[in-house]
Amino acid sequence: MAPPAQTNRSPSPSQPSGKSEVTDLKSQLRQLAGSRLPGVDDSKRELFKKVISYMTIGIDVSSVFGEMVMCSATSDIVLKKMCYLYVGNYAKVNPDLALLTINFLQRDCKDEDPMIRGLALRSLGSLNVANLVEYLVGPLNAGLKDNNSYVRIVAVIGVLKLYHISVTTCIDADFPAVLKHLLLNDQDTQVVANCLLALQEIWNGEASTSGDAMKEREALLSKPFIYYLLNRIKEFSEWAQCLVLDLVVKYVPADSNEIFDIMNLLEDRLQHANGAVVLATAKVFLHLTLSMTDVHQQVYERIKAPLLTLVSSGSPEQSYAVLSHLHLLVMRAPYVFSADYKHFYCQYNEPSYVKKLKLEMLTAVANESSTYEIVTELCEYAANVDIPIARESIRAVGKIALQQYDVNAIVDRLLQFLEMEKDYVTAEALVLVKDLLRKYPQWSHDCIAVVGNISSQNVQEPKAKAALIWMLGEYSQDMSDAPYILESLTENWDEEHSAEVRLHLLTAVMKCFFKRPPETQKALGAALAAGLADFHQDVHDRALFYYRLLQHNVTVAERVVNPPKQAVSVFADTQSSESQRPHF
Amino acid sequence: MLQCIFLLSDSGEVMLEKQLTGHRVDRSICAWFWDQVVSQGDSFKQQPVIASPTHYLFQIVREGVTFLACTQVEMPPLMGIEFLCRVADVLSDYLEGLNEDVIKDNFVIVYELLDEMIDNGFPLTTEPNILREMIAPPNIVSKMLSVVTGNSSNMSDTLPGATASCVPWRTTDIKYANNEVYVDLVEEMDAIINRDGILVKCEVYGEVQVNSHITGVPDLTLSFTNPSIMDDVRFHPCVRFRPWESHHILSFVPPDGLFKLMSYRVKKLKSTPIYVKPQITSDDGACRVNVMVGIRNDPGKMIDSITVQFQLPSCVLSADLTANHGAVTIFSNKTCTWSIDRIPKDRTPALSGTLLLETGLKRLHVFPTFQVGFRIQGVALSGLQLDKLDLRVVPSRLYKGFRAFTRSGLYEVRS
Repeated sequence: MAPPAQTNRSPSPSQPSGKSEVTDLKSQLRQLAGSRLPGVDDSKRELFKKVISYMTIGIDVSSVFGEMVMCSATSDIVLKKMCYLYVGNYAKVNPDLALLTINFLQRDCKDEDPMIRGLALRSLGSLNVANLVEYLVGPLNAGLKDNNSYVRIVAVIGVLKLYHISVTTCIDADFPAVLKHLLLNDQDTQVVANCLLALQEIWNGEASTSGDAMKEREALLSKPFIYYLLNRIKEFSEWAQCLVLDLVVKYVPADSNEIFDIMNLLEDRLQHANGAVVLATAKVFLHLTLSMTDVHQQVYERIKAPLLTLVSSGSPEQSYAVLSHLHLLVMRAPYVFSADYKHFYCQYNEPSYVKKLKLEMLTAVANESSTYEIVTELCEYAANVDIPIARESIRAVGKIALQQYDVNAIVDRLLQFLEMEKDYVTAEALVLVKDLLRKYPQWSHDCIAVVGNISSQNVQEPKAKAALIWMLGEYSQDMSDAPYILESLTENWDEEHSAEVRLHLLTAVMKCFFKRPPETQKALGAALAAGLADFHQDVHDRALFYYRLLQHNVTVAERVVNPPKQAVSVFADTQSSESQRPHF
Repeated sequence: MLQCIFLLSDSGEVMLEKQLTGHRVDRSICAWFWDQVVSQGDSFKQQPVIASPTHYLFQIVREGVTFLACTQVEMPPLMGIEFLCRVADVLSDYLEGLNEDVIKDNFVIVYELLDEMIDNGFPLTTEPNILREMIAPPNIVSKMLSVVTGNSSNMSDTLPGATASCVPWRTTDIKYANNEVYVDLVEEMDAIINRDGILVKCEVYGEVQVNSHITGVPDLTLSFTNPSIMDDVRFHPCVRFRPWESHHILSFVPPDGLFKLMSYRVKKLKSTPIYVKPQITSDDGACRVNVMVGIRNDPGKMIDSITVQFQLPSCVLSADLTANHGAVTIFSNKTCTWSIDRIPKDRTPALSGTLLLETGLKRLHVFPTFQVGFRIQGVALSGLQLDKLDLRVVPSRLYKGFRAFTRSGLYEVRS
């Protein structure tokens, strides 16, 4: 698969076969290396481009290292950049050859042009070779004192890179102290932000071994420093603001006046265009007011609007990230968002991961006034083309039904689902009707009327079949056809694959027998016989157990298998364990 | 912080790899990621934040190109995603489009941009204005210039003055002969209408875009007649907050050129400009479809580029649809598009026809959702109005212009 040729320049490198192209390049580069002809820079650039593109595709071009270094003696910035990119990639493999480039890099660090100085420093830092670190210290020191802030910015990050290559060199050269000085005194906010980033990492690394480092780390969280940062927060770039806000979260304010001070300062960050800043500010607010419950509630109100805007504008990826956070908040305080449920309606062409999250949030925020509308909306999704979402929405309707007391409309809806004659809809709905009946047995009449019309042939999924059978057994006195349906199911015992269904079938037939003995007797006999011959251990044991119970005493058997039941008040698994863990 | 950024093509091939820190991230993570994509069926459905056995991955997909960022440390995920979105926007702006070929042709620019935008895993400079001064985009003019002058370097020789000023989004020495500033109100309407024609949800998201070419460092003040209708606002960093808080006035020093001044959301809308009435009746294996489109609340200006699009359900074998105005096209993936463009004065555009269902199916059970597109020039549907735009120091020859524009966002009608 060759990349297309370009129109007004030499053709792009075609899929190379390996060695021959590389040796070609080597000889071409060597020819250009010492040349001072006027067109040389352009040809060098074309060759460098080829080298880099090979590198990008994954071909090993480390053998042209020497020639690249020779050609990098140029004043053209683009050439320099490409050369340093190449060197940075291969320096680890060829540390001796990397030494050759040090000369050029050191010279460039003293160049007049600050862009070149910055570029050279950055490339020096990326060399990542342990025995070259001594060459790094001098230029870094000079860079940190440079008048131009661009160079200082690069130098600060260079110190961090040095720390990762060789800890001792960094500490011995006393860089953390220099960085600290810059942190507190530099005018340029980007320098300050980078110092903060670097120092945090360095002190975190050192804290386990050095008491000084731990003290310094704690000094970062002191009131004067935090206030210093907060007062200048508007001047920082948006990414630096995220960094500062992350630090503020760790700060422990002395009293509530401080808390309000900080919140007032940060109030306008909630209206920043960058979603990450808004979210970081929300985190700070929630964290600070954890212990003050009434202010905490007000904070929820305040951050609601920006977060909801973030959900609907922006790309689906951003919506997903914000929705996940909102999900946590909604679990904590559902009533705060109960008026805004319309935001969580799913649009047709959203990706399914966003829709799934929105469905979970709709179930969480439903309260008495909004239940009807939310359920109506969810029923629309059930007719959706996207099958997993349709299933999820039916389950969501069920969950809401189980949470709310007034289930009138919901039951009607569920029964409408059953009439839809779509197999997956029917399957999900049956499972839910079963759960509903366990909690609200008073609805049994309406449900049974509809369920009885469902032909069991249409229901194929094991869970749904099991649910249907349970209902047949439990309410066999109300459903006139129950024994006959159970009988036909028993005749197909061998074709029934799911052990769960067979177990349910056994129990249901027993229950039916107790209520309507003459009609079920034949089915019972067949079921027990089939169960005893079944190869699945649980089914076999249960059939044996029932058989012996019946032989022993029929009334006792009835008490065991079909005792009077209480309605379930709360299902344990509807309270998700996530919301019970403390997050904040 | 981010450790590595990969750019993947739509076949999973690694187009570009940029290691950001000392930890080298092996390419095998891309192979793992692509296996996941293939097994999940569609890269679009993959979640943006994934935890692999070795790294956290952030991914966004733009026009077939996947931007993948890896990290092993804990960091705020929204920051990673916002940054990737920003990278994609800057690249698309520079290369005038985003696809596999254009990235492969210009990967030097891409590397340069990534170098400036992120250092050691932490985002650095992402404002497009500043980047444009440091690295010139590869457009026709610079290509021609390079041929003529023999200097094909696109790096500028001097640092942009803006990196060292306290108004970092604007350089200090801009000069124009004609000073002009244009303000555009661009709005997008999202709505859901259910099958009874009732408006379930309707919201407008708007942006105030300013395009300014003014000499020096101007200080602008913009105010609205009815700012209270806006429910939630977000500003560009250049807007001063105090004047907004007290008098709802926007006071700012603009970046040069086009930028987004603020975005807002308006919630309480009761009506939509056009109506779409779908009717689907089915009996005995065939379905009749009838869709009517018309103007409901005339906004005063011409509504154009009206399109209605819907997906034929998978149980439909064939469709025979005609319209009395506009063109109907049915694509091979069973998407049907009806482009009306403008509603004529003498008749109501209507689409009608029959759908043939699969054998054995009596009725249609899945009802398609109709997605409507439209554009209205000259009107902001939310009702927001600009009051005045002033400058603190009025230069000679200042020209001000104002425009409004609304288009449909996620506008769907259920049947």
